[in-house]
Order: sequence, then structure tokens, then C-alpha cells
Amino acid sequence: MKPQNPDTRSILAAEYVLGTLHGQARRRFEHWMKSDPALRREVGRWEARLNPLCDTLPAEQPGPAVWKNIEARINPPREAARAEKTSWLGSLAFWRWTSFASAGLASVLLAFVVVSTGPSDVAGPEEAMVVVMEDSETRNPSISVAWSPEGRGKPKLRIRVIGHAEMAPGTAWELWALPEGNQPPRSLGFINTHETQWVEVPEELRHQLNKARGMAMSLEPEGGSPTGRPSGPVLASGRCLKI
Amino acid sequence: MDALDDLMARCAMRDQRAFAELYRQTSGRLLAVALRVVRRRDWAEEILQESFVNIWNHVSHFDRVRSAPMTWMTTIVRNRALDWVRRPKHETSDEELDGIVENWADEAPGPLDRLRNAADSSALAECLGTLSGQQRQSIALAYLHGLSHSEMAEHLGQPLGTIKTWVRRGLERLRGCMDATSA
Repeated sequence: MKPQNPDTRSILAAEYVLGTLHGQARRRFEHWMKSDPALRREVGRWEARLNPLCDTLPAEQPGPAVWKNIEARINPPREAARAEKTSWLGSLAFWRWTSFASAGLASVLLAFVVVSTGPSDVAGPEEAMVVVMEDSETRNPSISVAWSPEGRGKPKLRIRVIGHAEMAPGTAWELWALPEGNQPPRSLGFINTHETQWVEVPEELRHQLNKARGMAMSLEPEGGSPTGRPSGPVLASGRCLKI
Repeated sequence: MDALDDLMARCAMRDQRAFAELYRQTSGRLLAVALRVVRRRDWAEEILQESFVNIWNHVSHFDRVRSAPMTWMTTIVRNRALDWVRRPKHETSDEELDGIVENWADEAPGPLDRLRNAADSSALAECLGTLSGQQRQSIALAYLHGLSHSEMAEHLGQPLGTIKTWVRRGLERLRGCMDATSA
């Protein structure tokens, strides 16, 4: 029977964090946590209270094999193969994307085939690209972004939200460009749940976009991230494929 | 947003260089956490490895509003280490446990002094100072070394009920003190 008394709940949370709650009691507590956000918050408070104890421990250097093994585990052959492909047409991401967005494919391709060679007003040649962002949880394509800097009018990102997405009230979806190297993510603005939408790219961000390695979408409070960097969970992300 | 927050955000975007940097900055401290609980280097390294794969796979769920990066990562490592040490074949020898318990005896100044000197922990250090020596010792033995109530009872030579009371009263007092400090 799950306790209701706040003091009992708090002490149980503390014993869970401490590790003195174990065996079946620990499993049962974890089960309660799943459906009880207030209990999860209490656990979080205890983690924050006790965590400084770990600062008392002198650091220990792990052997080199540890990182090698981690690297091998996070880089399964499929990912490695994908990274090596130079042709975006041959990439797995592209083919997965086409199965979801085949209807829009012809028009997207057409837009990229007609690339003018007129002078660009920012440093470096701008290239068209697509990004297929995968849902962080299911790894299914959830949002595609197409960027064609050349063309008539102000260039915009063309966004397609795949499937029927829902956004919780009081939240916002913020789109980010991930630049090369050690640069922090740059906000590209907000998107909504509409299947097709356009996001205008401010002049000063066009150069950033040209150099972006990937894009991501994070869940933020209404009005956007308070920190200027992604502050909530990243719901979708993907690599930029230059075309 | 500090450097670790930034690295976490980039890891969530599958930036492997950011992940390598995150490992470089935190693996030493996290290995120390695992090593204290499981007490064998090869086991601790295995836990560290599994934890970092877990961190990479779940970093998109990290919510910096709810917890600090180091707290989040430490929790992953500690939970794995606690699960590990509770399996019968990974139990620690009596001699080892006696040594650990000795080290946290009330008069042993080392670990608590280090806590007082560690950054960001002054509130915890101050509040642990208000606990009785027995309460403080039992909380440290459980949190840092993963000792169970019954292991503490055996090695401190006290009835199980007494140990449970030390832990619970210690936690209650700690919460009261830390809430008052942060208010």
C-alpha cells in the first residue's frame, strides 16, 4: 500500500536514494515512482541533498579500455556505415525518410534541383541541405527540415512534422542548429505541430546554418528556453545532409 | 549554464565529441563513486562502462531544470553499483567491511573534513555536523559504501532496529536542517 503521509513518503524516498531500501521494497518503490511525479520530485530533492557527499571521494582514473568499449557500444556498425556514406541519396536516413514523406519528395527534390548560381550575400558558399530528425525515444523519423538558401524571396526552412504530433499546453518546441566544433547550439526559432510549415532564417543565422552539423528540437517553456540554450529534453535530432 | 550543461545538451544532439569530453571531465569522479560501493576495480570499471552507455542512450531525457548533470550521472552510477553489490556473489568480505566501518567511526576526521572542504557542499557538511556521530556514520556508510541495514548492524555490533532508527532519525534531521538552510 503506497504511503500518503508526506513525511513517510519523504523518508522512503531518502532511504531509496541512500540505498538502504532494497530487494522487493526497492522494486515496489520504483514502481510507485513511475506513476507519481511528486514522489519522483522528492527523490530528486534527496539526490541533490546527498550528492555532495560524493565530492569527498578522490577521483580514480579509469583504464583506457573503458572508453574504448563505450565508444564501440555507442557506435554500432549501422551508425558507422551511415557516417561513412558520402552520398546522401545512399544514406539509410534518406531511405527511411522517403517512406514517411514520399508524397512531399518530388517537390522537395525539384526545389533542390533548381539551384541558381547567383552571388551569395554571406561569407562562404551556401549549400542546400536536409535534416531528418529522429524521435529521441522511438528513433523513428519525426520531423524533416529542408533548407534551400538560393531562390526567390527570403530563404526559409521548410519543416514537415511527420505523424500526428501533440504539444502540451504551456510548452514550446524550439529548433536548434548544432554548429561544428565546440560552439554552443543556436536557436532557430519555434515550430508547431502543423504538418507543413516554414521558418524564416534571420540573416545573421544563415552562416551558422551553413556550418551546422545537425539540428535538434527541444521541449521548452512557453516563450522559449530561459537560458538561450536547450534547457528541456531534446525530443528529436538529426544530422545535416548537404545536397 | 555551466560547461557540463552545455556538453549534455550537445550529447542529446548525438555529438560524440561532446560525449568524449563529458567522459573526460566526469569519469574519474564517477569511477570513485562506483569503486566505493563495489570495492573492486574491475567491477567498478564495468559499472562505469555500462553507466556511460546508459547516459548516452538516455541523455535526451535529462532535464536540467530537475537536476544538475553531475547529480543525474551519479544517480545512474550509484543505482547500478547498488544493484551489483546486492547480488549474493558480489558480497564483500567481513574483513573489508570492518575496515570501511572503522574508517567512518565517529572520531575518524578524514572523510568529514573532506566534505567540509568540498565545493558546493557547505550546507550538507554543516547539517551533517548537527547529527549525532552514529547517525552521520550510518548515513555515510549507506550512501558512499552501499552498506545495508543488516551489514551495518553486524559490523557496528548493534541491533538491526537501532541501526534503522539511526538512519531514519539522521535523515529527518538532515532534511529539516537543509530545508532551513536553503529557505
